[in-house]
Amino acid sequence: MASLTQSRWFPLVALIVIVLALAGLAELAPAVMQRRITQGLINLVAVVGLYVFVGNSGVLSFGNVAFMAIGAYVSALLTMPATAKAVFLPDLPAFLATAEWPAIAGALAGGLAAAIVALVTGFPLMRLSGISASIATFAVLVVFHVVIGNWSSVTGGQNSLMGLPIYVGLWTAAGWAVIAIAVAFLHQESRSGLLLRASREDEAAAAASGVRLVAHRLFAFVVSAFLSGISGVLLVHFLGTARVETFYLDLTFLIIAMLVIGGMHSLTGAVLGAIVITLVAELLRQAEVGVSIGTTTLAAPLGFGDAILALLMLIIILFRPNGIAGGREIAFPKTQPQTRT
Amino acid sequence: MIGRMLQVVVDAVSVGGLYALTALGIGLIFGVMRLINFAHAQLITIAGYAVLLLFTASPVLAVLGAIIAAALLALVVERTAFRPLRGADPAMLLIASFAVSFFIEKVMIMLVGSRPKGVDFLPALAGQVEVVGIRLQLLQLVTILVSLVLLVGTTWFLKSTRLGLEMRAAAENFRMAEVLGVRANRVIATAFALSGLLAAAVACLFVAQTGLVQPRMGLQLVIIAFVGTVIGGLGSLPGAAFGGFLVGVATILLQALLPPELRVFREAFLFLAVAVVLLVRPQGLIPARGLKERI
Amino acid sequence: MSAPIDPPAGACLVDVQGLVIRYGGVAAVQGVDLRVHESEAVAIIGPNGAGKTSLVSAIAGIVPPAAGTIKRGGMPARGQALSDVVRHGIALVPEGRNIFGGLTVLENLRLGATIRRDPDVLSDIDAVFVDFPILGERRDQPAGQLSGGEQQMLAIARATLSRPRLLILDEPSLGLAPAIVDKVYALLRQIRDRGVALLVVEQNAARAFALADRACVMSRGAFTLTGTPDEIRRQETFDAAYFGVAMSAGPGAA
Repeated sequence: MASLTQSRWFPLVALIVIVLALAGLAELAPAVMQRRITQGLINLVAVVGLYVFVGNSGVLSFGNVAFMAIGAYVSALLTMPATAKAVFLPDLPAFLATAEWPAIAGALAGGLAAAIVALVTGFPLMRLSGISASIATFAVLVVFHVVIGNWSSVTGGQNSLMGLPIYVGLWTAAGWAVIAIAVAFLHQESRSGLLLRASREDEAAAAASGVRLVAHRLFAFVVSAFLSGISGVLLVHFLGTARVETFYLDLTFLIIAMLVIGGMHSLTGAVLGAIVITLVAELLRQAEVGVSIGTTTLAAPLGFGDAILALLMLIIILFRPNGIAGGREIAFPKTQPQTRT
Repeated sequence: MIGRMLQVVVDAVSVGGLYALTALGIGLIFGVMRLINFAHAQLITIAGYAVLLLFTASPVLAVLGAIIAAALLALVVERTAFRPLRGADPAMLLIASFAVSFFIEKVMIMLVGSRPKGVDFLPALAGQVEVVGIRLQLLQLVTILVSLVLLVGTTWFLKSTRLGLEMRAAAENFRMAEVLGVRANRVIATAFALSGLLAAAVACLFVAQTGLVQPRMGLQLVIIAFVGTVIGGLGSLPGAAFGGFLVGVATILLQALLPPELRVFREAFLFLAVAVVLLVRPQGLIPARGLKERI
Repeated sequence: MSAPIDPPAGACLVDVQGLVIRYGGVAAVQGVDLRVHESEAVAIIGPNGAGKTSLVSAIAGIVPPAAGTIKRGGMPARGQALSDVVRHGIALVPEGRNIFGGLTVLENLRLGATIRRDPDVLSDIDAVFVDFPILGERRDQPAGQLSGGEQQMLAIARATLSRPRLLILDEPSLGLAPAIVDKVYALLRQIRDRGVALLVVEQNAARAFALADRACVMSRGAFTLTGTPDEIRRQETFDAAYFGVAMSAGPGAA
């Protein structure tokens, strides 16, 4: 037991246990709560996805929500029943119009599609430095938002796609959350991940010592996109509908906020951020719904929850830039915390 | 035929002017602080809402109110959110800027709701004039004029005043400017106030043109103008203005020249252009001379 | 430490005591005392890495001390903003010239006088153009187009325009041809003759010695020798003092 708590695998095991415990607790909770926790687990996959790139490379990406959208729509198109497709997407090419793939195949296809897009767009982008790269990822977000939102024959454009198979429940989400955490952990412990993180602080030094920064960044970007794609898949198969407006600035902000508040520089931070902020968001949503006092309802105006979230994020940036996790991974209390630099 | 073409040209120049002003506002802040001010969108929005509040009283009051609102918001944002972060690394600045923008937008939605509101601002400008036998919209000509005046005015300010000189020096090498005695706070505050002024002008013109205010009005302008700033060259003020202008012209030309099925993808083309420029010429079309740090 | 020198008459412009500067865990300056008085020329010489730049950067307000005190014109430096230092009569010409390449020669000069509101600024700038016709010829050209030597002249002239009582120069001869260095030092002599105190950091000991009333040899963050240039030259331990005690550690050890 001692060797486990001190080993470098501890964070992985601990985080998985936490996720499973959370799902276990949710089993006992009322249905509404279960749905919230499922949503939180889906968020977790998205945040972990973002973390794989941002946390390791130090480059902020605004584009991961585009990958969520790609994963979501690819999976939707492949798994939607043909009857629903005939209604919403009458102009689909025959192959897609009749495709009714099993859920897991659709999900993997979604993740893979996102990964391929990341590979293609990342290939030129990863050569850019710092801010330029971030701006370029912002461009990716907008481009795909525009394309998906207007390619009506394939995606339905601005209209929602409905009738998607709803197979994402508590344990499906938890299962994928565990997979995401494992993938992220294996990546950051891999040679590529370690090299990337080491060069995060000093690009010049890394380049001078021969680290092929672009290649490692691209690898992280692709893995990140895969996970983000999966989270998009989970989202639409949880809601049963796909709408392009979901995948734009508000969601981008939410995922980034979760990562920043939890702590950008460690996997624990990503997981923590997702869980904590989902909880906080739930509380804030309650405030917007309101509390009944006698015959009146005391409710916060629309937008209140988002404003508080943004404020939280600013406070963290100003006073604790490394987030709640402080750049460290979860560690067994008696040992020294492993510092994730 | 000529008339139609001239109309498109005037349209393009007018939109170009709007985006040039917006891009300049963004570029000013980036110049002195290496900060991409996402909140510039909210400066435009708040100016728009000031117009909504005051336009029934008098148009002059509305314009003044817009300027004051935008400049004040800019100064408040600088003082509370960005000053503590001076010298922080660019990734942090970017995230903070994003958060500030989001925060202000949501607060505005809380205060005014998310539905668009109609504003009949400067209806006198809705008419048309005849120029060399061609009918052109008065508002567009006014937009072009105002853009020109502000661009020339800003250039004059930067080139001919002490404060403008200090700003340009600070944009090139902040530390050395301080060593010479340039006061950081004053220069940065001036940049923010000036960007507020530009945002207000854009807002007034935009509201007059569209007849609407809504909480995301600044965002749609800034996202496009942002492309211009990058294409023109981050850190270069002439670059920002020129890039903004180019982008404005491009949106109109794309609208006019693209086949109808592709017109909706206009913005996608624009953003592809960003990526291409960043790759091929990362310093932009009119790069800042002597820029200390490569972005 | 050699015997203290009698301080010359004149106000004390800079008073440094027990200065320690750290970057991370490394002490670049370890316990330095230094006074610079009105109208005197002081040279700080030493090899690369001795801490000279850190020392003058702290005096100029760019780097905060980890320990010790700095007084500028009798006032404690703590709490003074960087942009206020020049208002206290101390102008810095940092290493590497640092002129604003995108601004014109004239604009660079105007920036040197940016703290001044008196009408003599224009005549002071004209005087610069008289002394340096080359700068006058190129007054409206971007300063980035000047040669290295011209840029150095511009940087020094710019610094004098704030009418400082003390001019600090970090490696003014670095990267310049000997003929240009002659001109630079001639200029410094002129400035000194006008009553401005000088604090010059140099690797090139000979030049600095020719100019200075007093010199300090710095190695590994501390002064190893101080005195008049003649006194220092006569010291047998000069080489050791210059290169640091552990000469066997190789060049650049300090």
